[in-house]
Amino acid sequence: MSATTSHAAAPTRGSGIPFGRHVRVELRKMIDTRAGAWLLGITAGLVVLAAAIALIVVMFDDNARLTADALSQIMAGMLSVLLPVIAITAVTGEWGQRTVLTTFALEPHRGRVIGAKYVSVLILALATIVLAVVIGVVCNVLGAAIGGYGVAWNIDVSDLLWTIGMQLAYFTMAFCLGLLFLSTPVAVSVFYVVALLLPFMVYGILYFAFGWARDLIPWLDMQYASVPLITGRDMNDNPVDVSALEWIRFVFTLFLWIVLPGGIGLRRALTTEVK
Amino acid sequence: MITVQNLTKTYGQFRAVDDVSFVCQPGKVTGFLGPNGAGKSTTMRIMTGLTPPTAGDVRIDGAHYQDIPNPGRHVGVLLDASAQHAGRTGREILTLSALTMGLPLSRVDEMLELVSLTKEESKRRVKNYSLGMRQRLGIANALLGDPKVLILDEPANGLDPAGIHWMRSLLRHYADRGGTVLLSSHLLHEIEIIADEIIVIGHGRIVAEGTKESLLQSVGTYVAAADNHQLAEALRAAGQVPAASGDGLNVEGDPATIGQIALAAGIALVELRPSGSAGLEEMFLQLTSETQRDLVASTPGGAA
Repeated sequence: MSATTSHAAAPTRGSGIPFGRHVRVELRKMIDTRAGAWLLGITAGLVVLAAAIALIVVMFDDNARLTADALSQIMAGMLSVLLPVIAITAVTGEWGQRTVLTTFALEPHRGRVIGAKYVSVLILALATIVLAVVIGVVCNVLGAAIGGYGVAWNIDVSDLLWTIGMQLAYFTMAFCLGLLFLSTPVAVSVFYVVALLLPFMVYGILYFAFGWARDLIPWLDMQYASVPLITGRDMNDNPVDVSALEWIRFVFTLFLWIVLPGGIGLRRALTTEVK
Repeated sequence: MITVQNLTKTYGQFRAVDDVSFVCQPGKVTGFLGPNGAGKSTTMRIMTGLTPPTAGDVRIDGAHYQDIPNPGRHVGVLLDASAQHAGRTGREILTLSALTMGLPLSRVDEMLELVSLTKEESKRRVKNYSLGMRQRLGIANALLGDPKVLILDEPANGLDPAGIHWMRSLLRHYADRGGTVLLSSHLLHEIEIIADEIIVIGHGRIVAEGTKESLLQSVGTYVAAADNHQLAEALRAAGQVPAASGDGLNVEGDPATIGQIALAAGIALVELRPSGSAGLEEMFLQLTSETQRDLVASTPGGAA
């Protein structure tokens, strides 16, 4: 503590806080709380558990074979169960615990903090995907050894990129909902209803049963909109001719769940009074 | 130096801060005194760029807060000691701030020592901290970047009397080295102990300001006799305006004058002293009575 008397020194001189430093701090914030550590730990547990179950099935069922393609889907599924909560709480946690008072006092340019938060969410998402791919590769090799079949590296680059891209899209959606609501329980509830509950519990049945649902749902759900682009088949496994319409629907779902909440949310987070 | 000019903040029809101007000088500890809801916190949030003002201007050493690069190195801020992530340890909270400001992590240990948080306490999660410990942590956080200006909202809240005196010497040393300090409180005795300059705010407006001495001086003498009626008459006869206060009278004149009047009237006094804190307290209550929600409940017997 050495407050100096040289008040002539203009406080506006000197350089600001580098963006990379913000990213490092935000990455640290995601894992230095008990909640963050638990979410990562449980997710790691789920990934390992899924790999173990797959191996056990191979071990006892002579007909079962693991493929890189199937494993990549399983691993991505495990990651998307809990990790989006970290993307949400990276934003909402600060408002809920009111640490924004400190964060924005240290960096009044809120956009830099929010940008750093998003970059750190992307880094976390990519890091966990890499980890899951490594575990998947090990699992695939082990499975082939246990089951006594040739290793199937049937995954092509485009599928892998789509898996990663969709994973990042859902993380981004979680982040944007966090910005929009600035409240952990609301953002988490909305995210799980929109990203998991509706597609699996509601849309599936409607899509199977009704023609209008087959027209409507791909406009509302990122997964239903993206599957035809990835596989060339719709969610009922019927082949589709991918045209501009399929792409427009996909872009519209991105707009609906990322651009729209993200835009409104960013405006809200940048301008609301911090108390 | 903090310069506040014609600052106004309205929420709809409600004027939380109403045309407030004042200056906090370096080398001085300025106390911002007012009842809850008087506009202290709003003013401090505007100072630190967290709340946009409706009108007016705040500058810190000539600059807007938003224009100070890495502001934690210039302005130490504590706005709410409870606004910390309950799941982080005290040390982690300071570490995050130190990393953000680009400080060596040895600063964290220095600050923990300065505010008397032990190594063991610093490794506990903040949800297990008492309010007093959170205040110490918040002050450590504010001082981390070795700032030239300190803005502290209710920093003594939750501190025991020893803690309040500790804070006084801490801020005194800081100001003696040329630092500027603004701290707020809704408790007069805290401000009286810690501050040199006092700004009293009520209903969003500044109702009194000056050095502690000048504010104390202006409120006169407390005097008591065996027969206060006789004393009051003698005082009135001498042109004074006595007012009942506790077991005695408050008078505007200084103690020497009042003593002379009593002597001349042949009245034996049982007490004679500058009104001091009791007088300032009455002034504070009176000045802010419009916003003092619990005034009626807390002053039985119609003392005023």
